[in-house]
Amino acid sequence: MRTYIHSPMTRDQEKAVLDLVANPPPGSELAKAKEFGVDLTLFLSTLRRTPTERARSLSEGARIFQISKQSQQNEQ
Amino acid sequence: MKLEETIRILYDAGVEFVVIGGAAMGLQGSAHLTRDIDFCYSRTAKNMERLAKAVEPFHPVLRGAPPDLPFRFDAKTIGNGLNLTLTTDLGELDFLGEVSGLGSFQDVLSASDVKNVGGVECRVLSLEGLIKSKIAAGRPRDLYVLPELRGLNEVKKKIGLD
Repeated sequence: MRTYIHSPMTRDQEKAVLDLVANPPPGSELAKAKEFGVDLTLFLSTLRRTPTERARSLSEGARIFQISKQSQQNEQ
Repeated sequence: MKLEETIRILYDAGVEFVVIGGAAMGLQGSAHLTRDIDFCYSRTAKNMERLAKAVEPFHPVLRGAPPDLPFRFDAKTIGNGLNLTLTTDLGELDFLGEVSGLGSFQDVLSASDVKNVGGVECRVLSLEGLIKSKIAAGRPRDLYVLPELRGLNEVKKKIGLD
């Protein structure tokens, strides 16, 4: 498991997020998102990251997507 | 796409911009992935000059246009257009003069937060701003991300996270 040295969240905030995503209050936006199919546990990992780490993660995701797209095109 | 590098290049060139769209979603904590980077830019003459100067070295071409179509990315071209969708050495970059549901650059700026990305203090559209713009855009792919954005906004507000 990756450790985020400069997590923007305190331990208490992390615990609060964990509680919220594990038990979204009925009628809340979180409950609606869960019902829609959103994986709420992803919030825990994304919110642990700093904006810089999020930017790097986005760029890496786009790079993987591009490789996958090129690979599909090569197969056709 | 090179988000951190692109933000630094625009910042160093003194361009007035706000990160919007999928990149803003990601920077705000969404798990959504995106292939391009969307910016809203100020349409002052000075800013359009700075934008052209900053991006021109990265060989911008109009995305989807025939390769033999003459294209010069300068302040005049930017001024004659409003929204520019480009393919560059930095990846796919979209520069929008206004954002549906929000308005012009000043409105988008008012709906933005400051985020430190790679040591650069840049403006990123807030979750409330993203939600407004996605509702206004109204395409299926915009509406699809609303439950996640609303849920994320709720979490961040409840725990007092920027």
